[in-house]
Amino acid sequence: MELLILNGLVNGLIVGGIYALVGVSLTLLYGVLRVVNFAHGEFVIAGSFLAFVLFTSFGIPPLLAVPIAAVVFFIAGWGLYYVLIPRLARSDDPELMSFLMFYGVSIAAAALMLLLFEADSRTIDYTFTPVSVQVGPIYVSTARLVAFAITVVVSIALALFLFKTLPGKALRAAIMNPEAIQIMGVDIVRLSAFAFALASALAGVTGVLIALVFPAFNPFSGAEYTIIAFIVVVLGGLGNPVGALLAGVLFGLAEQMATVFLPQAMAQIVGFLILVGTIFFRPSGILGVRFKR
Amino acid sequence: MTVAIETRGLTKRFGGLVAVDKVDLRADAGETLGIIGVNGAGKTTLMNCICGLYRPDDGDVFVAGERVTGQPPHVVAHRGIGRTFQIPRVFRKMSLIDNLLVPVLDRKAHDAELIEQAEAMLERMQLIDLRHNHAEELSGGQQKLLEMARMLMPDPPIVMLDEPFAGVHPVLCKFMIDRIEETARAGKAVLLISHDLTSIYRLSSRVIALNQGRIIAEGGVDDIRGNPAVIEAYLGT
Amino acid sequence: MASPSRAPDSADRIYFTLTALMGGVLLIYFASVPLLGLNVAFHFYLMLWITMASAFNVASGFAGYMPFGYVAFYGIGAFTTAILVKKAAFPVFLALPLSGVAGIVLALLFAPTLRLSGIYFGIVSLALAGICRLVITNMPEEITGGSFGLQLGSRAHPVQSFYVMMAVMVVALAVILWLSRSRLGKALRATRDDADAAEMMGVNVPIVRLWGWLISAFFPAVCGGVEAWYTNVVDTETAFNTLITAKTVIYAVAGGLGTVTGPVLGAVAMVWLDELIWRQFPLLNLLILGLATIVLVLFLPRGIVGTLLRKKPQWRRYIP
Ligand SMILES: Nc1ncnc2c1ncn2[C@@H]1O[C@H](COP(=O)(O)OP(=O)(O)OP(=O)(O)O)[C@@H](O)[C@H]1O
Ligand SMILES: [Mg+2]
Repeated sequence: MELLILNGLVNGLIVGGIYALVGVSLTLLYGVLRVVNFAHGEFVIAGSFLAFVLFTSFGIPPLLAVPIAAVVFFIAGWGLYYVLIPRLARSDDPELMSFLMFYGVSIAAAALMLLLFEADSRTIDYTFTPVSVQVGPIYVSTARLVAFAITVVVSIALALFLFKTLPGKALRAAIMNPEAIQIMGVDIVRLSAFAFALASALAGVTGVLIALVFPAFNPFSGAEYTIIAFIVVVLGGLGNPVGALLAGVLFGLAEQMATVFLPQAMAQIVGFLILVGTIFFRPSGILGVRFKR
Repeated sequence: MTVAIETRGLTKRFGGLVAVDKVDLRADAGETLGIIGVNGAGKTTLMNCICGLYRPDDGDVFVAGERVTGQPPHVVAHRGIGRTFQIPRVFRKMSLIDNLLVPVLDRKAHDAELIEQAEAMLERMQLIDLRHNHAEELSGGQQKLLEMARMLMPDPPIVMLDEPFAGVHPVLCKFMIDRIEETARAGKAVLLISHDLTSIYRLSSRVIALNQGRIIAEGGVDDIRGNPAVIEAYLGT
Repeated sequence: MASPSRAPDSADRIYFTLTALMGGVLLIYFASVPLLGLNVAFHFYLMLWITMASAFNVASGFAGYMPFGYVAFYGIGAFTTAILVKKAAFPVFLALPLSGVAGIVLALLFAPTLRLSGIYFGIVSLALAGICRLVITNMPEEITGGSFGLQLGSRAHPVQSFYVMMAVMVVALAVILWLSRSRLGKALRATRDDADAAEMMGVNVPIVRLWGWLISAFFPAVCGGVEAWYTNVVDTETAFNTLITAKTVIYAVAGGLGTVTGPVLGAVAMVWLDELIWRQFPLLNLLILGLATIVLVLFLPRGIVGTLLRKKPQWRRYIP
């Protein structure tokens, strides 16, 4: 039993790290742009497929796929921003319309992946040597440990970026007060494009990590990660990146522990219940601070 | 004279801030009570407490002698309180006629009859040509007029106007003053918030001055005009 | 509501004539589909989507909510009919109204979410639909048939179910037509535009919202039931498929939220387009649905009818 719990804790931490990344990119996007990216899960899974293609067609290992995904997704996100967002601002209710539009993006992205890769679940047949490492009394797969290390590095880099660099500070300022920052002479369009690109890059990287940590993925896995991203974002407080990082880890732990004690389906329901409960009883998230509004 | 509206010891706190502090006020039918005070004095909050939007922390509100404290806004509205808002809050995607029908939806009268009344009211407010437009297509000043029309539509014995003249051209301002005078003459109790002291002094039979949620002066126009506490609050630090 | 005490003005006359005309065309056209040997399946689903999009419009266009878990009502309706018919040997005609009741019960359970607004409401709705799906999937196999779903047996009757679907559509459209002119409809719209102001104008906001919500939940539940009867099979994968929500939302938005004709027109245009594309490129179906949504939101956010009325505001009084 103790072993099971310990296993749950370690896996919870690893999975939670990934959830944190899934959430933090979504929350950045919402914070700066006030758009709700319903297609976030599909962006993430597209990252997994990129890693898959890089490995199976070009023999590029997942570790190398991380920076490649970051660059590819950054550029794609930058482009997508200019196609999708500026027009959106002209509608009556941009926030809700963004939800709807990304609903479309999510359907289209899933369909596109379906056309390219078919519905079968995919796995990357890449193994580290040794396959697993002993941590205390339990064994953890090396792939998972590597993924976790990358998660930590990316999170720290992101935090440093947001709190220590000028563009990062501009982003946080934009989250807190989008009107003021325009008056201060920041080009909000470029900043938004950058935020979109950054969030996409994070999603792509997360996708690569997911290919390492989880056994398989298919074009329709995206929806699950979208929900997870929503849970994390709401738990952390809409638009609060630090909150999202914390909430991701917390939710990962909760979910993995739930799978130790509960049947699979129940664990999923718990996730949904956490989401609904948070919105009802703690709409500003676990940290209880509202970044905006 | 019957007391149309009365508050006793009305208090509303936001965290540590006492926005409305033990306010006693009363207005009789046919009387206009001016409410003045600097920004943040608590005037709007007072109205919000009266009409039930905020639940007061302490004290009571009486309409025609009956206690309505803590009742939801729609119940208070049916007791006969109509109001306008500092920043116009019209139903943006509804026609002007439909805007006016909203406060009388529970009336027994036939729809056609109510529509006729609404048209008459729009006529009175000089908005009749726009009656089929959506409210969002009106200018800011026209929206203020629409709010006033909507407030008067159910013929409530008590009306509360929050800054009706803010951002309004003098010509329209004069027009609104006339409508408010008419309303009082028709026997309604009028609570009027305004920063425009000339209009306040002209319309009100009595005035209360609020500062930091408390009534610092109360009386006829002449008492208020020369009141040192009011001058201090308005001109002092 | 009450009959007008004076002669209806000319705008009303045009409105009623147009309504009667469009209603008549719709009625005669659909009624003659099986008689003329037209494609029953296509028209069955066309009516289903017209009903779904129109009922969705009550929650979104009239009341201002975006229930992204709308499929929950459909799914619960499908399973209610299937279980009652298969496991309790209910006659279909008794099971179908009970599907509607199930939808209403579910809507009552979800009623507390009506305090939320904007994306919070949307996200919670989505999560609740997820919970519904999981709960039904994990119910004992003897009740819901597990992952295989339920076969209704040899009770299918395409033409009968076609006409029942038609009746449901007609009732739905009649109710929504009534709603759009009724006092409840005005109260709903006022609540959508500014709930606090509406409340201070004497509108009992929670009750009004609840009515709108119940109307909006009833019809998809019945649709689910009728479709279960029509296809003779129900399983959680299809009955709770998020694509059902997606299509409903997209069709309604395509036509224009807030008008009666909007969702009808949107459903007709999009279902027809869907069929056309699907025949040509079966694989591209989903992709095109997604792209169509994006294009719609970006270039026609008010939908067909909404855009038209924006250009010709004076037509608002003529077009239902
Ligand atoms: N919903 C609220 N939450 C917290 N504080 C509030 C809220 N509404 C008002 N306040 C505070 O209560 C005080 C009184 O505000 P109120 O709006 O009543 O002032 P006012 O007299 O109407 O001012 P103005 O002339 O600027 O309209 C202010 O200090 C304000 O910050
Ligand atoms: Mg004020």
